[in-house]
Amino acid sequence: MEPIYDTLVTEYRVHGSVYVDERVYANEMDRIFTRGWVFVGHESEVASAGDWVTRRLGNEPVIMVRTRAGDVQVLANRCSHRGTTLCWQSSGHTSSFQCTYHAWTFGLDGQLKGVPYPGGFDQDKSLLGLDRPGQVDRYRGFVFANMSGNGGTLASHLGDGGVELLDRLCDLSPTGNIVLGGGWIGHRVQSNWKMWPESDNDGYHLNWVHASMVRSAPDTYYEQTVLGGEDGNKSLAVDLGNGHFELDFRPSYQTELAWLGVTRAKVELYCEALEQARGVEQANRLLLDGPPHAMIFPNLFLGELSMAIIEPVGPGETVHRHTSVLFDGVDEAFNRRLMRQSEAAMGPAGFIVPDDAVVAERMQAAFAAGRGWIDLSRGANRERIDASGRRVSHVSDETTNRAFWRQYRHVMSTS
Amino acid sequence: MTSLEPGTGLLREVEAFIYREARLADQSRYAEWEALVADDMHYWVPNGRADYDPAARLSYINDNRARLATRIRQLETGLRHAQTPPSPMCRFVTNIEVLSVDSAAVEVVAVANQLVYELNAQSTGQIRTWPGRVTYRLRRVGDEWRMAGKTVELLISGDALPNLAFLV
Repeated sequence: MEPIYDTLVTEYRVHGSVYVDERVYANEMDRIFTRGWVFVGHESEVASAGDWVTRRLGNEPVIMVRTRAGDVQVLANRCSHRGTTLCWQSSGHTSSFQCTYHAWTFGLDGQLKGVPYPGGFDQDKSLLGLDRPGQVDRYRGFVFANMSGNGGTLASHLGDGGVELLDRLCDLSPTGNIVLGGGWIGHRVQSNWKMWPESDNDGYHLNWVHASMVRSAPDTYYEQTVLGGEDGNKSLAVDLGNGHFELDFRPSYQTELAWLGVTRAKVELYCEALEQARGVEQANRLLLDGPPHAMIFPNLFLGELSMAIIEPVGPGETVHRHTSVLFDGVDEAFNRRLMRQSEAAMGPAGFIVPDDAVVAERMQAAFAAGRGWIDLSRGANRERIDASGRRVSHVSDETTNRAFWRQYRHVMSTS
Repeated sequence: MTSLEPGTGLLREVEAFIYREARLADQSRYAEWEALVADDMHYWVPNGRADYDPAARLSYINDNRARLATRIRQLETGLRHAQTPPSPMCRFVTNIEVLSVDSAAVEVVAVANQLVYELNAQSTGQIRTWPGRVTYRLRRVGDEWRMAGKTVELLISGDALPNLAFLV
């Protein structure tokens, strides 16, 4: 029997089967990761013509490549002849893609260029280029793709909320451009992928799941933003619509650069570069506000100056793959500081995410039978619509989780 | 105490140190393990091969002495869920060679192959295997040895690793 998503996902409850059921997973690969927009990568990862990286859009392996014309394309990582994987490493540089099996050669734009022994080849080469997503678009260097071609525009997917998140992050760079140049670190977790949008933006769990980090590394910005009692904390859980959501720490930040855990003296060159680019007034605002902690549906986590792609592997397995957000137009020492912060927080050996991974794996084990419900009602009694029309509540409330599941139900039941 | 001349005596001392370090790591005896560490310790688990400048890219672990101290403090809180309870481990260290001896700095560089069996006792209950190549920088301080560098190149590094919250 086909899962009935309107029944399995209600406003305040989600059924355990959606974390473990193979049919649900197959529907997600189709309705979320094939029909909808998915984050692929950032154009800075393929800075020069011929640079490529490999990714997966749901189950579909793809290549993101910079063409000679200078645009960024997304191509199926699968030879159009017999289906061999073309690029089997995570990144590289090439002048063309040549298949190892029969040496068919494809241009950087995916067009079929060469077929050995042409005497037996009687087809129109222009019809045998590499498969590609129906839609590819980018905003501020963030490349998104939509396999089906029926995902509407990227602008309508991101909405004002998603656009504002990416603006707020990129505006912190003096040139307005971020760079993903630190390499990606993969973290394999035996849990369903949906536990990651849930956990990465859960403002309720930190005092318990991350108690060891708080005790061993005090004075981090988490103290200002999400710890402290329910009454003292001014941060907000925010639903931005379309499945995008945020833990908005701005109301908690009392001092500039609190989000970086330093004073201006430590990062003076960066502050000067930002002031030069934006003027003192706007720079001061940016240095106080910092980067967002947010999720862009369904697979892009903006974790302040770390970023993660949530890669489903199967109903019970996910790769949480992160990198540092680096800034363009800053001194090398500043970007290296950002990388050291990502190393501390994220990945299999970080001080934060491994504890979330264990919790996710314990949830997965508890749902093995596909029974039980989760309760996501926290904060429904005090959620409100703010002056700019956003649904907001206390940072510890499950407004962010409800935002995810509301979009999930919409996409899964109406596609 | 033997001299810092390449030879059987030196190799024996290095091996004895490495086996002790391995035993303390296996048993998650954090304070005793930390006592083996020099003030300029660099503990590095690179992303892929150890063929890059760890300052310039991201690594799984890239701890200077201060960050390593934080790592151990975190483990010792008893609240580090990713190591609650600590993973029972059994590691096999073989193919130990002293590659270079710097008599002036009283330092040696030694390499070994390492295979760690780890019971993921926190959640999945799986036995995980962690094969890799280890490079040690060891320094003689008086009658004792200290570890100034440990680099672990994991075979499966470069793709995606499960939780690595123990001392590898």
